[in-house]
Amino acid sequence: MKLTKEEIQFVDNYLIKNEVKYWDVRLELLDHIVSAVEDKMTNDGISFNEALLDVHRGFGNQCIEFGVPKGKIFESGLYQSNIGFKKFTKNKQKEISRKNRKRYWVLLKQTLLSYSFMLEYLLFVMMIFVTYQYKPKTALLVALITLAIPELLKFKYVFRKGVRHSLNANMVGLLNSSFLCFQGAILNFYKDEFTYNGIVDYRYIIGFYVLIYPLTRVSFMLYKEVLNTTKERYQLLTS
Amino acid sequence: MSNSKLYKGSLTTIILKLLNEHDKMYGYEITQKVKELTKGELKITEGALYPALHKLEAEGLLDVEVAKVDNRLRKYYKLTETGTKETVNKLEELAEYIKTMQALVNPKLA
Repeated sequence: MKLTKEEIQFVDNYLIKNEVKYWDVRLELLDHIVSAVEDKMTNDGISFNEALLDVHRGFGNQCIEFGVPKGKIFESGLYQSNIGFKKFTKNKQKEISRKNRKRYWVLLKQTLLSYSFMLEYLLFVMMIFVTYQYKPKTALLVALITLAIPELLKFKYVFRKGVRHSLNANMVGLLNSSFLCFQGAILNFYKDEFTYNGIVDYRYIIGFYVLIYPLTRVSFMLYKEVLNTTKERYQLLTS
Repeated sequence: MSNSKLYKGSLTTIILKLLNEHDKMYGYEITQKVKELTKGELKITEGALYPALHKLEAEGLLDVEVAKVDNRLRKYYKLTETGTKETVNKLEELAEYIKTMQALVNPKLA
């Protein structure tokens, strides 16, 4: 027995009520629940509600029948917890971040070995080196601007439809923010090493930016890759 | 998994083996296939299946394909090249485990 469009919508709303707020988490749960409910209704001859409750328990959620005396009236009902769905989302979050970290190193390796990137990196280093010979402060500014370009380009993707409520997009954004914080923390930690008698030695800061250039570049590549996949799936969902 | 904790350690091997035999499968299909093959003896719960699938995906053993089916999106899992190689290793490991257990439990048959 196939569920109607309204019943599928009901299941989707039920998931939203159970705090499954990311659409890319919901899509997998929705398909599983709908398939299981259809199967149970056809083969076990049970109602839609009974089948849904059965699947609800299967995910590790709790269903407790309760009775509460309220004055002369005895109220009874069914308490449903969403602990299973919470675990599902938490586990998925952990695995996505593991997947992203793994993909990051694969991309970094591929990028460092590609001739086009080698040429790009060489040009970047030469540009910084030449500028430093004339104006060290300008060289630092050039390095900073070059590193900021991928960060600015990310805004192009952030405001796309479906990005805000996607777990995949959120996790890759988080990885990126942690990377930026890590950069800042390193610079802050070693700031005394760059300063001599109150004068900042730009060579070390520029050197640091030159070193992290491939890492920032790959971070943007991963961001773009994940957000493009998210966009494709969202388009498929809304088509 | 409802029947026994003994099956728990073999869950990833079961998933890999099924995906090795089929081009691609979705979550619910895997649970049903296991139920059918074991004549209802082994039931994989949703709470056990999905963490295992997501872990295998993160490890790069599974790839994901999304398709629209009956007004909703369906996530299909399929083996990657590394996944196919890992399936062979995992099955060998499992066969070895069964052999060892047999030697312990029933030495006459081993």
